[in-house]
Amino acid sequence: MFKKRFLALTAAVVLVLSILAGCTGKDPVKSNGESKSKDQVEISVWLTPQWKGVMDPSEEGADYDSFFKYAAEKFSKQYKDHDVKVNVQVVAGDQRDELLNVNLNGGTPPDIFFESVFAMGDYAHRGALVPLNDIVDDEAKKDITQNYWENVTFGDDVYFYPFSHMPGTLAYNADMFKAAGLEEYLGGENEIKTWSLADYEKILKTLKTDLPKDKYSNAFPMALYALNNQADTWNLAYLRMFGNEFFDGKGNLVIDDAKGEKAAEWLKKIYKDGLTNPGVESVSSNDVNAMFQNQQLAISFTNSVLFNNAKADMESGKTPKFDLRLANIPSESGDPLTFTYVTGAAVFNTEDETRMKVSKDFVKFFSTDPELVKASKNGVPVRTSVAEEFKAEKPLFEAYDKNAQYMFNFTGNVPGYSQLRQVLYPELQALYTGQKSAAEAVKSYQESGNKVIEESKANSVIFNK
Amino acid sequence: MMGMFRKGNKNKKKKEKIDIILNGLVIFFAVLNLFPLYWLFTSSLKNSSDVVKMPPDWFPKTITFSNYVDVFNNQPAFRWAFNSIFVSLVSTIALIIVSCLAAYAFSKLKFKGKNVIFIIFISSLMVPKEVMIVPLFRIIQDLGMVNSLNGMIWPNVATAFGVFMLKGFFDSIPDSLRESARIDGASEFTVFYRIMVPMVKPGIGALFILNFVQVWNDYLWQLVVGQDENSKTLMVGIATLMQDLNPNFAYKMAGATVAAVPMLLIFIFFQKYFTSGISIGAVKE
Repeated sequence: MFKKRFLALTAAVVLVLSILAGCTGKDPVKSNGESKSKDQVEISVWLTPQWKGVMDPSEEGADYDSFFKYAAEKFSKQYKDHDVKVNVQVVAGDQRDELLNVNLNGGTPPDIFFESVFAMGDYAHRGALVPLNDIVDDEAKKDITQNYWENVTFGDDVYFYPFSHMPGTLAYNADMFKAAGLEEYLGGENEIKTWSLADYEKILKTLKTDLPKDKYSNAFPMALYALNNQADTWNLAYLRMFGNEFFDGKGNLVIDDAKGEKAAEWLKKIYKDGLTNPGVESVSSNDVNAMFQNQQLAISFTNSVLFNNAKADMESGKTPKFDLRLANIPSESGDPLTFTYVTGAAVFNTEDETRMKVSKDFVKFFSTDPELVKASKNGVPVRTSVAEEFKAEKPLFEAYDKNAQYMFNFTGNVPGYSQLRQVLYPELQALYTGQKSAAEAVKSYQESGNKVIEESKANSVIFNK
Repeated sequence: MMGMFRKGNKNKKKKEKIDIILNGLVIFFAVLNLFPLYWLFTSSLKNSSDVVKMPPDWFPKTITFSNYVDVFNNQPAFRWAFNSIFVSLVSTIALIIVSCLAAYAFSKLKFKGKNVIFIIFISSLMVPKEVMIVPLFRIIQDLGMVNSLNGMIWPNVATAFGVFMLKGFFDSIPDSLRESARIDGASEFTVFYRIMVPMVKPGIGALFILNFVQVWNDYLWQLVVGQDENSKTLMVGIATLMQDLNPNFAYKMAGATVAAVPMLLIFIFFQKYFTSGISIGAVKE
C-alpha cells in the first residue's frame, strides 16, 4: 500500500517538475542556429557588453543587444537569398571563453561573435574562425586606416571586421595638478597631452611633495597594478618606454635587452620612491580605477569607455567631481606610446556553408551600412568618415585620430596571447616585491612567454599553413 | 565547612571568568564571521566609488537603493531567481529520493558485488565536474536539454555524494530494527519508508542544505546550459551584469546580496537538521 503510494507520489512529483522544467526551455537546435530549410536560415550572434541602445544609451529600452536586434531586422528585410532569423545573445566578458570552449567542443559555436580582437585572436589561431577577406572591399580599406587592419589581420587574412575601437591612454586629475603647482603641464580639455619622460618624472615627484595633504590625504601620484592578468596592456606600454620593440618579426618576445631592462628598472624605481600607489603586486586595475575616481591617484590608466563612464559618474553625482583630462604614455624618445582595442565581428567555422555565407553577409551589412556604422560613435569609430561626421559632437575623436600614428599593436597578434597575459603579472609581482631584479624579471618573462608562444605556434593554423 | 564554601566560591568565580573570556572569544569570532555579510550588505547601499574608499566608510554616509533597483529593473532578475530556486529545489528533492534508496540498499541489503559497486560510486566523487563538462554538455545537447532547466537539474541528481553521506546514517541504525520489522511481516519497502527514513531525517536535512547550496552555486554548469536570457539562473545572470571595463562594485554587491538571501533563509530554516545531521552521521553502531 505504502509502496504503491510512495512510488506514485515520487513519479508524479518528478513528472510534473520535469514537465515544468521542460516548458521553460527552448529547442537548442534553433537557438544554436541550425538551418531549418533551404530558404530559412537561423544564425546566432554573441557579443560582450559594448554599448546600450541602437545609436545611443538614452533611447527607450536601450540595452546591449539593441543594436544587433535592429541591424538584424534591417538585414532580414533586404536580404534576398534567405529568410534570416538572427538570435542575439549577450555574454559577460568573463563568461566568454568558458562558453565558447564548451560550445566549440560540443560542435555548436555561435555564428558570429562581436568582441575586442585581442580577446578573440587565439580563436583565429585555433582555426575556429573563417577569414573575412572576401567581404572586405576597397571602399572599406580606404575608409579604415591601415593600423586598424593590422590589428585584425592574422598571417595574411583578415579575421575580424573592424567596427570601432577603444584607445588606451593615461588620465589625470587636472585639479590635483593645479593644487601641486603643475599648471604648465596641463593639456587642453579636448587634448591628449604628450609629456617628455623628464617632464613626467618631474610631475610625479612634484605631485608627491607638493600635493596639499589637507585636501588630498592618502593620495599618490601614479597608478600601478599587477594583481592579475588584467595587468597587461598598460604595463606592456610602460615596458616599451625606453624603445623596446617587444616582439620580433617572427612573433617572439624580445623584451630581454638593455631597453626592456631599463623600463622594468624605471617601474621599480618609481614604485620604491613612493611615486605610485603602495602594494602594486596586490592591486588590480579595478582598484586603481576606483582610487582614481576617489581622487587618491593623480594619474591613472584609462580608455575611451572608462573615460566617458568616469565623466558620466561625476555628472550624475555618483563620484566626486574633478577636472578629468587625457595624456599619452611618455617615452624616452619623446614619441608617445598609444594602443587601442579594436572591436569587430568574427565569423565562426560552423561547417555549415549556408550559415557561414549568411553570417558573413550580415557582418558586412552592419559593418558597412551608412546608418548602422554611425553606432561606432559609442566607442571611437574606426571609419574616418564617421569620425569626421561626429567631430563637432565628440571633439576627442580628432585627438584620438591624431594619436593613431603612435599606435602599437600590443598583442603582436601572436598565438597564445591569453596565456601570455598569465605569465606577465607574476613577473611584475616578483619585480615589485623584490624577489627578482629588473634584469631577472624581463629575462624570466621572455623565457616563459616565448615558451607559451612556441607551444601555441605549434597548434596555430595560421603559423602552420 | 567555611573553607570548603570559600574554595567552592573561588572555583565558581574562576569558572565565571573563564566563561566570560570564552563567551568574549565566541562573540569576537561571530562578529568576525558576520563582518563580510555586513560589508556585502552595506556596500550594496553605497555608490560604487564609496565601496573602495580609503579610509572606508564603515557605515554608508548616503544610502542608495539604486543598485537594487537597477538589478531588478534592467533585466529579468525575478525570472533568474525563480530558475535558481526551481533548479536547486527540484535537483535536491530528486537527489534525496534517489540517494535514500541507494544508500539504504548499500547499507542494509545484501547483494553480490555490493562493495565493489559502492567503491565505484565513491570513486566518481574524485572526478571534478569540470573534467566532465564537455562530454556532459554533449549528452545534454543530444537530449535537447540545452537552454532548459531540465539540463541543469538532472546531471546534479546523478551524483554519489548523497549516497555516500546517507549510507553513514543508515549504517548507524541497528540492523536489529530492520530484522524485527521483517519478522513482524513488514515488507522491505515498508521498513525503508516507515522505519528507516524517519530515523535518518537529520541526515536528509543536512543533505538538503549541502546539495541546495551546491546546486545554487553551480555556476559553470548553469552558465553553459542556460545560454539564453530566460533560462539563466541568478548566479549566472548576476555575473552577466558585470562589465569588464566599468566595474560597478556596489552593483556587484547588490547582486551578490540578492543571490545570498535564499541561501541564508534555507540555512536558518534547516539549521536544526544540519547541525544534528552532521554530528549523527559520524557515529556508528
